[in-house]
Amino acid sequence: MDGTHAPATKRNPYRVYWITWVILLAITVTMLLAESLHMPRWFLIAFLLAFMMVKATMIGGNFMHLRYEKRNLAVMVAAGILVTSLILFLFIRPEARYVLEHTH
Amino acid sequence: MHAGETALESHWGGGALPFGASWQKTMMWIFIVTDALLFSGLLSGYAFLRHSIPSPWPRQSEVFSIPFIALMTFILITSSMTMGTAVTASRLGDRKKALRNLIFTIIGGLAFLGCQAYEWTELIHEGARLHTNPWGPPQFGQAFFVLTGFHGSHVFSGLVILIVTAIRTAMGRTPAQGVELAGLYWHFVDLVWVFIFTLFYLL
Repeated sequence: MDGTHAPATKRNPYRVYWITWVILLAITVTMLLAESLHMPRWFLIAFLLAFMMVKATMIGGNFMHLRYEKRNLAVMVAAGILVTSLILFLFIRPEARYVLEHTH
Repeated sequence: MHAGETALESHWGGGALPFGASWQKTMMWIFIVTDALLFSGLLSGYAFLRHSIPSPWPRQSEVFSIPFIALMTFILITSSMTMGTAVTASRLGDRKKALRNLIFTIIGGLAFLGCQAYEWTELIHEGARLHTNPWGPPQFGQAFFVLTGFHGSHVFSGLVILIVTAIRTAMGRTPAQGVELAGLYWHFVDLVWVFIFTLFYLL
């Protein structure tokens, strides 16, 4: 947790990367299959967004070692990006609707 | 400074390592956060374009070869795995393994950029430009070139960093932290692709 050591298990310190790689590929294939299944649009959006966040968490946590870093750092990075992005997206929607209704 | 102020400073000052990381790593993380916000802004702009036009957005599967995009994703995820291996090998003092995996990562990055160059060439041949394209709303071309262009430029700069890191590792001049910092940037490039892949190519 001190941020100076890579994750290490007694057996194989590289195992975490292989497992993460396999899971990321499996999720990617699942997302591609879902996209071709013609499911309801709202369900597809929720499904893909959920899996996108899982992939991002796995890359941040395991590849970038955020899960092994001090919590202060992980919170600063994750909360900073997530909260700002959420605010941006929430403000975009009504503005885009206004432009659509008043300029076309 | 009296005792009360000293107590406050020790509590709020953070000390030498407020994040439990070296200043180099802390600065890299701050850079990554700011760069992530740049992409967040670009993706928000893309969402704005898509929701503010009356004409339907083109179906991505009719414009792109989704299996080809999946191949690009596979290449980038695999290069992230080899990069993680290089970081840990470097930490454990296994320079040969670190160098080998850095080279694999560079090959992956070059392959990804090659795929992107091919994709751009194909679309440009089909008539896609920044302000026009054969599939409908002109905003589609803007979103495509801006999003993938910015990401591609990050892949390119990541490759430059990796090549320098690999050369210095081969010469025994890069400390483990140097490989780790290069790795953080490379994983960030992979992370951004996860969002572009889902929000632009699939949704």
